[in-house]
Amino acid sequence: MSEKLLLLNDLHSFADALIKSGFSVVAPSKGPGPSRFRRIGSASELLMPDVNTEIPPKEHLFPPTEPLLFFRFHGTDVELLDPPLPAEETVFLGLRPCDAAGIALLDAVFLADPKDSFYEARRSKTTLVSVACTKVGENCFCSAVGLSPHSRTGSDVLLIPVEGGFLTEAVTEKGRTLLEKHSGLFQPTDASTPKPPEVPRSAAPEGLDKDFAELFAAPYWQDAAKRCLGCGACASVCPTCHCFDIVDDSGARGGVRLRCWDACGLELFTRHASGHNPRPNQPARFRQRLLHKFAYSRKSLGRPLCVGCGRCVDTCPVGMDIYEVAVLMSQGV
Amino acid sequence: MENAYKPHLVTIESIRDETPDVRTLRLAFRDPEVAESFTFRAGQFAEYSVFGEGECVFCIASPPTRHGYVECSFKLMGKVTSALRDMEVGDVIGFRGPYGNWFPIEEFFGHNMLFIGGGIGMAPVRSILLNCLDLRDQFREITILNGARSVADIVYKEEVAEWQKRPDITCVCTVDPGGEDPSWTGEIGFIPTVLEKMAPSAEDTYAVLCGPPIMIKLTLQVLEKLGFPPERVYTTLENKMKCGFGKCGRCNVGPVYVCKDGPVFTAAQLQQLPPDF
Repeated sequence: MSEKLLLLNDLHSFADALIKSGFSVVAPSKGPGPSRFRRIGSASELLMPDVNTEIPPKEHLFPPTEPLLFFRFHGTDVELLDPPLPAEETVFLGLRPCDAAGIALLDAVFLADPKDSFYEARRSKTTLVSVACTKVGENCFCSAVGLSPHSRTGSDVLLIPVEGGFLTEAVTEKGRTLLEKHSGLFQPTDASTPKPPEVPRSAAPEGLDKDFAELFAAPYWQDAAKRCLGCGACASVCPTCHCFDIVDDSGARGGVRLRCWDACGLELFTRHASGHNPRPNQPARFRQRLLHKFAYSRKSLGRPLCVGCGRCVDTCPVGMDIYEVAVLMSQGV
Repeated sequence: MENAYKPHLVTIESIRDETPDVRTLRLAFRDPEVAESFTFRAGQFAEYSVFGEGECVFCIASPPTRHGYVECSFKLMGKVTSALRDMEVGDVIGFRGPYGNWFPIEEFFGHNMLFIGGGIGMAPVRSILLNCLDLRDQFREITILNGARSVADIVYKEEVAEWQKRPDITCVCTVDPGGEDPSWTGEIGFIPTVLEKMAPSAEDTYAVLCGPPIMIKLTLQVLEKLGFPPERVYTTLENKMKCGFGKCGRCNVGPVYVCKDGPVFTAAQLQQLPPDF
């Protein structure tokens, strides 16, 4: 399958074929609330928005709340039980290249040694079939963080919309296997790859991988963070934010240890039990978010911890724009 | 695949009250195989849990040279430490670890050692200090400066009394001004002030210190003044942590995660980090 392939018709036929061959298919779908990825029972539920879904697919690999451990009390003794791990082979269908790149970043965190067994159990059974963007969202800035509307990063298969279907590319071995299993849906083509749409917000934040002390002490933080409410909405819609809390919930006979999403913008995130808080005010917390994403991660992971999806900008109740601050950081002041 | 968040079960073997609000627990692994195979290095930490209340993070306060148990010292502070204080001998708690890096004791061999602990900060210092004392022949002079807010708040009193009696150790104890009582014969003054007065030689000496953030900050300045190169000054950071192995993001400071790149850092490494801890 080295030649170029064309997926005929639409995503619906692919979705139905995947479901029929036993995959759990997670895709943008119709439903209440913000647009998001859901497990679909048939292709009729599929609903691809022109641009990103409002909520990224992250929650299907790293749920907002998940049990890490169950415990049962027997007198003064305690019995520990592991939560069951997911067993279903899953395809994420129709995610945008930025979201696939976001999952690659989550991989870099959760699959680093020691691996997070819960994330790994889901991730190892998940194949990512992305659809390249033909339109650019108002707040998108993928080109500023080394990606593009056609990025392959993280994807197992990339589908590029063309006249009459989707130009199909197996990016990984996993993707190739998936396509081979469904070869009836594809036919060879000599169609040329279209040019990706232009992303206007593409000023790459450069030179942020060093001089952390200088960035930290920069004069603009107070001003840049002035409006920040510390609500954490940005982190909750971010495809790469992965911070979490661990809490116990229990009754007389036993209970559960849960992990729950958390965010560095929230006041309690770093507050010690003694009351000491290394980041005692909102500008300090906002600075941490920006530095972690655009500066520290360039050293620790070798790339920014942001995929330019623009969701935090869409979602922020006071209209803060992470891209503008990143540009400010790279310009220095 | 192994659940990285599942703790070992440990039984509380004994309880010792160090001060009115600091308690030391001696813990033994329930599973004989774990008890047999468990190893750690001085400076490493663990997540301790009271099931139903949650987890909290402390260093291992006992040295790796003493087998068959681990000890932790904690100060009554929040929800989990309150619940931990309600536990009795024989009760079962959770232990995840060891996590993080450690003091490079082999590098310390053949040198003078200076240990400085402030309050509960003496706990991680105790692990490496006892480790060194158990291998006493490997070191030249050993000096200890242990400080607390008041006489009642001095941790490890029995051990401090022993150290003060030993001819091969210099052990100075100090309390903050106003924290002395009529019978107090030790120093009165904050740790940085007393250290400056003691003026230990920096030559061939490694310093290990831990304590409250402000004490660490001011003590580092005094050590610098005394001529200690920052590469030979070690401290251990106590950030808020949840997972303990680089996932939950809470202990991030600059490009490092305190839980996996630390908690042990040299003063030279701290100088590279933004002042965010």
